Amino acid sequence: MIPRVPPSANQDKIISVHGVKFVYNGGVQALAGIDIDIRRGDYLAIVGGNGSGKTTLAKNMNGLLRPTNGSVTINGVSTSEQTVAELAKVIGYAFQNPDHQLFCSSVVEEVRFGPLNLGYPEAEVAKKTEMSIEAMGLSSVKDQPPFSLTLGERRRVSIASVMAMDPQVFILDEPTTGLDARETDDLMEGVDRLNLDGRTVVLITHDMKLVAKHAKRVVVMSEGRIVLDSDPRGVFTDLELLLRSKLIPPPVAQLAHRLSSLGVPRDVISPEELVFHLMSGRGALE
Amino acid sequence: MTAFIDLYTESGTFLHRMDPRVKIVAVATLSLLALIMSHLVYLLVLTAVMVVLILLGRASFQKTMLAFSYVFRVMALIVVLWPIFNPGGTPVLFELGPIRITEPGIMAGIATAVRIFCLAASWYLLMFTTSQRDLVCGLVKMGLRFDFGLSLAMALRFLPTFSAIVESIKDAQRARGMELDKGNLRKRARDYVAVLVPTIITALKMADMLSLALQSRAYGARSDRTYVRELKMLAGDYVALSIAVAVFAIPATAKYIFSIPL
Amino acid sequence: MASVSMESKTTQTTVGVPPAKFVPPRTVALYAVLTALTTAVTMILVIPLPTRGYFNVGDAMVFFSAFTFGWRAGMICGGIGSALADLLLGFGFFAPITLVAKGSEGLVAGVLGRAYGGATWAKVLGIWAGGSCMVTTYFVGEWILFGFGNAALELPLNVGQVLLGGLIGLALSQAISRYRNPRPKAT
Repeated sequence: MIPRVPPSANQDKIISVHGVKFVYNGGVQALAGIDIDIRRGDYLAIVGGNGSGKTTLAKNMNGLLRPTNGSVTINGVSTSEQTVAELAKVIGYAFQNPDHQLFCSSVVEEVRFGPLNLGYPEAEVAKKTEMSIEAMGLSSVKDQPPFSLTLGERRRVSIASVMAMDPQVFILDEPTTGLDARETDDLMEGVDRLNLDGRTVVLITHDMKLVAKHAKRVVVMSEGRIVLDSDPRGVFTDLELLLRSKLIPPPVAQLAHRLSSLGVPRDVISPEELVFHLMSGRGALE
Repeated sequence: MTAFIDLYTESGTFLHRMDPRVKIVAVATLSLLALIMSHLVYLLVLTAVMVVLILLGRASFQKTMLAFSYVFRVMALIVVLWPIFNPGGTPVLFELGPIRITEPGIMAGIATAVRIFCLAASWYLLMFTTSQRDLVCGLVKMGLRFDFGLSLAMALRFLPTFSAIVESIKDAQRARGMELDKGNLRKRARDYVAVLVPTIITALKMADMLSLALQSRAYGARSDRTYVRELKMLAGDYVALSIAVAVFAIPATAKYIFSIPL
Repeated sequence: MASVSMESKTTQTTVGVPPAKFVPPRTVALYAVLTALTTAVTMILVIPLPTRGYFNVGDAMVFFSAFTFGWRAGMICGGIGSALADLLLGFGFFAPITLVAKGSEGLVAGVLGRAYGGATWAKVLGIWAGGSCMVTTYFVGEWILFGFGNAALELPLNVGQVLLGGLIGLALSQAISRYRNPRPKAT
């Protein structure tokens, strides 16, 4: 009943997760069996409450963590045969706290760190750095030290430094935490463009409004399992499941549900849609 | 080497219940005892006592082995190297060029290794039977000024936090292609800087907040501060204290005043 | 209606008790953090070696504390932080020696390294002199405890550790001083 995103014939799988279980050293099982395929060009959001395992899953994808059981395959090659550095060429991971990655004396130097580590020649490094700084709107601050920038700018530096490594997949861990509305919009504009350029984007977040507005596919996790994998409409149709997974549905969806008696469909995901349905509604609002 | 951050094993043995001040004094006297004794037989007796105490304290076997892993390696090196560099006495067992291995040399090497074990064991006894809080409490009661004790206690409390932050930052930089275990000196230094700069900045920000927290809790407001936990010496503690002192005083007197070879 | 007495019967507050003569809270917090960092770095950022066991980056923190916050911080935080690592890793008996070795390293590096406004050559001199104190203390201590053979074996390793730690500590103090000097924008 809940529609799955139909696989396009041209899309190939870039990340394949098969039967992955993960247990931390202390015995805590964070992933209880995950199967998911991420296709090239996907714009995917992994959502779930704290402790649902979303960050653990993401770290299993770029090699920072290795599955206790099961396998993760990137572009057809298992991660067990690759180091984190090798995987960093394909999978870029921007951490939740940008202050955990920034250490250079200027934004330019910072952005260069990644591609230099990957061994690109100087000309390439300069080009990619320039491109990422522009794409993230950092040209005006590129010679300033990263720690003197605002949180929003530091986030963008962190993402730019990942972008400069030119990966095929971007994993962004809670990129909008702590940002105000303007900063969020600026950031997500850059992220949307990444996907338009053909890169696969994986957003890890619990901000459902963000998901509704930007993601094309939503994976809901709870207690180490995937409980729902669908497009945003499909996900917001089932509010109870969201609440059980410790997620707060976006206000638009909640309102749509309450107005369903007025004929508003439940799978509304943007305020514009809600207005449309109310205006052209079945006459209850006169 | 990532070891357990806390050697302390919770338990209810008499060692655990002993006043931390007595244990601190005992570690000092036992260490001195091990240092002044040089006869292998007496050192082995001391070793046996240490092992018994460790067993009585119900230490976890795994943790103990982990804690002693470095010590055992040092002991092995001593046994091998000592005779080579201390070729005194007779009978000579082996000679090759400048190297002369004598029996007294080997025995002295073994004695030294055993002494190291006793030293390690006495400190280990302290660490696994005393919680960090009790240790600091004991030190403050023994005269460490409160503000130093507080700083020490805070350092211990933040140790796991910073360990986690260092690991997290290591991961974050690894995700940018940094490989810490490869490369020449300059590259490795640069990589460690990549990990340490964010760590230190995060830590300094925390220090600012901690300082505010202290001030808002009336730190230093009065010189007659009271304590939530009071340490009281019980009869058993006094007995243990006298034993700890006697265990050193008697052999020391025997050795230095009566020249009994120990 | 009974009147409520506001006088507390349990505490006897006497007006005029003077404040405690403590170091300022900024120092307590800073030293706690630097000490904990030194211990954490000494225990975690560790390079395994075939012979001795481990090579650690703790000296970088000793030098950093000394250069950035002065000889007292270098001595106290570097000395105690490193000694704590010994205590927690199972060779607590070595802690007193480490306390002196790293404490003197921080003290000397802090005094020399801050000369001439913290010029790079002063810091290098501080690393060399402080490092010598550390290596010498360890050599003598190990000779007495473990014998000449062990001490001699460890000597080049300790020297190497000072070199690596010095290089890193120098870079750290330069990077962080940029952070601590007036930032144009606050977050």
